[in-house]
Amino acid sequence: MSQLFLQQQKSAELNPFPHIAAFANRKIQHIQFNSFVKRISDSICIYYISDGKFEWIINGRAFSLYPGDTAIVLPGQELGSEKGFLDPGALAWIEISPQVYTPAGSLVLGSWSGIPENDSKAIGKLLSLNNVSVLSKLPGAGHVFLQLQKEIVDREIGYTVRVNQLIDELLIHIVRHLTRQNNLQRDFPQTFMKLEQALRSNLDHQWMVEEMAVMVGLGTTAFTEKVKNYTGFSPLHYLINIRIAEALKLLKNTGKPVTDIALETGFYSSQHFATTFKKLTGYTPRQFRINNKKNT
Amino acid sequence: MDCIITIDIGTSAVRIFAFEMNGQAIGFMKGSYPTFHTEAIYSEQDPEQVFITVLYVLKNFLTEKINSRKYKVAAICFSAAMHSVLPVDKNGVPIGNAITWADNRGKKEADDLKKLPMAKTIYDATGTPIHPMSPLIKIAWIKRHDKERFNKTGKFIAIKNYIIQQLTGECVIDYSLASATGLFNIHKLHWDSNALDYAGIKADRLPTPVPVFYSSLHLRKEYQVSLGLPAKTKIITGASDGCMATLGAGVWGEGKATITIEQSGAVRVAGNKVIRDSKQRFFNYLLTEGYYVSGGPTNNGGVIFEWFAKQFGVFNEAYGMDDSVHTLIKDAMQAPAGSGGLLFLPYLLGERAPLWNANARGAYFGININHEQKHFVRATLEGILYEIYSIGKILEEHRAFSTLSINGSFASYPLWAQVIADMFGKPVSVNNSYDSIGTGALLLSQTEMGVYPSLEDAAKTVTLQASYHPNKNDHQVYMKYFSVFEKLSHKLRDEFEEIALLQNL
Repeated sequence: MSQLFLQQQKSAELNPFPHIAAFANRKIQHIQFNSFVKRISDSICIYYISDGKFEWIINGRAFSLYPGDTAIVLPGQELGSEKGFLDPGALAWIEISPQVYTPAGSLVLGSWSGIPENDSKAIGKLLSLNNVSVLSKLPGAGHVFLQLQKEIVDREIGYTVRVNQLIDELLIHIVRHLTRQNNLQRDFPQTFMKLEQALRSNLDHQWMVEEMAVMVGLGTTAFTEKVKNYTGFSPLHYLINIRIAEALKLLKNTGKPVTDIALETGFYSSQHFATTFKKLTGYTPRQFRINNKKNT
Repeated sequence: MDCIITIDIGTSAVRIFAFEMNGQAIGFMKGSYPTFHTEAIYSEQDPEQVFITVLYVLKNFLTEKINSRKYKVAAICFSAAMHSVLPVDKNGVPIGNAITWADNRGKKEADDLKKLPMAKTIYDATGTPIHPMSPLIKIAWIKRHDKERFNKTGKFIAIKNYIIQQLTGECVIDYSLASATGLFNIHKLHWDSNALDYAGIKADRLPTPVPVFYSSLHLRKEYQVSLGLPAKTKIITGASDGCMATLGAGVWGEGKATITIEQSGAVRVAGNKVIRDSKQRFFNYLLTEGYYVSGGPTNNGGVIFEWFAKQFGVFNEAYGMDDSVHTLIKDAMQAPAGSGGLLFLPYLLGERAPLWNANARGAYFGININHEQKHFVRATLEGILYEIYSIGKILEEHRAFSTLSINGSFASYPLWAQVIADMFGKPVSVNNSYDSIGTGALLLSQTEMGVYPSLEDAAKTVTLQASYHPNKNDHQVYMKYFSVFEKLSHKLRDEFEEIALLQNL
């Protein structure tokens, strides 16, 4: 496949795709100084290595990349090489500008994408929580890049749809592979513990089952069933357990206003908190606090 | 119709059963809570999450299985995992997380105490082996290493005490759970002054000990409302999970022993005398006044077979551990008893009884060129059970038994049950462990309520069928290999120390 380097606003090929900041397929034969200095990315960059060996710094960590590896750089993360240039080799990459991306993991891809809103939220959360920049031997990635280039260059009928589908496909490949690389899908208690920690450290996030499932690398149905078997609770009920337990501690040990506690522990409102809390303990949070003081 | 509810606050989950007054089971529900390992040797739980989980499951259970079906709760009885320590302040509010039985932070404190002559006095008085699992050691650790928490602590209680205190407002500990703290004199039924001295506390910093039948507890008003239970609902303090399981297995008096294999395992007998082992290898816990459950715990039960499955098993679906374990057990059945002379020492997690050596490690021994994968699978299973047998064998030097009942998720696999029968050369009957803890709590409640005149009469109602009979030939094969297994376990002592030091665990 011939070499290619397209950039938004410079290359007409990208006009139908305002969300693609760049697309490239390069063979590096000669070193070009200062061609790859460290810079902060403002898009989702996906690199696919097809030849050679590269030493990169991604998000503060050093990686050696080999053929078949895929590197993912998120908006706000730093990418570059200590030497400031690309070593000889061959690689392809795409830079995607999402409509919304925050470091906390909010992701809105844009209307071009066929990925539903909840899935895209789950993808955003997974990418932000997993400190993984390189996926080794991501199956299908090389093929997707070849297809992408062919569609962009050939402009056969329906190519705009195909290009957008291929980007979706690439993201889905990455996300599915990410969870499988992180855990061997053997030890559910261990994997569940990791999820537990993620829930705890982001308790104020409005978790959806899709987001939790993707972190464990299961579909929502299989995930819900596994959690139910293992914990006795549905995923969302398990989460409520953690929320109430944390809220109890804050009510007992701090003077924080009840509304603050409600929001900090992930309830929609102090009303929602009060109702859930009372159902279980027989007290509203305010009564509980007063009573807890009286007892002591 | 009246019913009895039993609540078991276990190591990883709460399990709630309901029974009709005649013992007929009505239903079951569980809810799990996490264990945190902020450092490799730490093992902690959040008391509030345990409490909320108990409350949540209890409420759902009552709504779905009890109140909707017009049952009336006559009594609620508790059992719980042993050895947990939760420091609470003067107002009863937890200071940090509870430390569970599996926590090993007190390794040095335990070693230090073991070197003192006082260790034997304390062990004889309290019945609890000197080990990091013991609350005695944990409190000593907190005093040495976390002075601030120690000084702030009003009382050192167990997770079970916290749950009961939340529900009823009273801070009491039953004799049974107290007898697993290493601080309670099991002969005189009060906190032991030598143990208190070593821990560095006075008795007023521990909960009030009460009999296992103690039932002068009342649900707090708010929980009567939220759970829909009448004020007069009887709350029975109950016992530890190990003692309940022993009672529920019908093990009472001479001639009987019970084996539990979950992630960890234990061999237990019961009687009105303590076992006085000069090497302090066995625990003596109180089931009730003058009645002791004695035996030895192993760290390396089903967890080791699951470890093997994780590394070498086949997973056809994501997280299909059960399926993988099943397949491996089928493989193991293809290999002969004794695994063609391949031996496995299962000490991957160090070992409690009978070695009591935290530095012990695992090994495959005797591998020859004819050994196949199936031999390794079977050797792994046999190694875990040789270890169970080694506890049983020494226990039998003190107390003979002719029948065995086994329970727990692993022991109930037919191959495991058969190998146990063959190794011990005794008939084996199987019952389910969660059932046996629940059944124990049921029998205790029924006795308290006058259905049975005594626990002994209650225990007699448990009948088990001997389902596995020992095979003489296999027994002889196992005995020959066991002699090598036993020698290796002792011979490697120095090398265990050396390798543990290198592994820095």
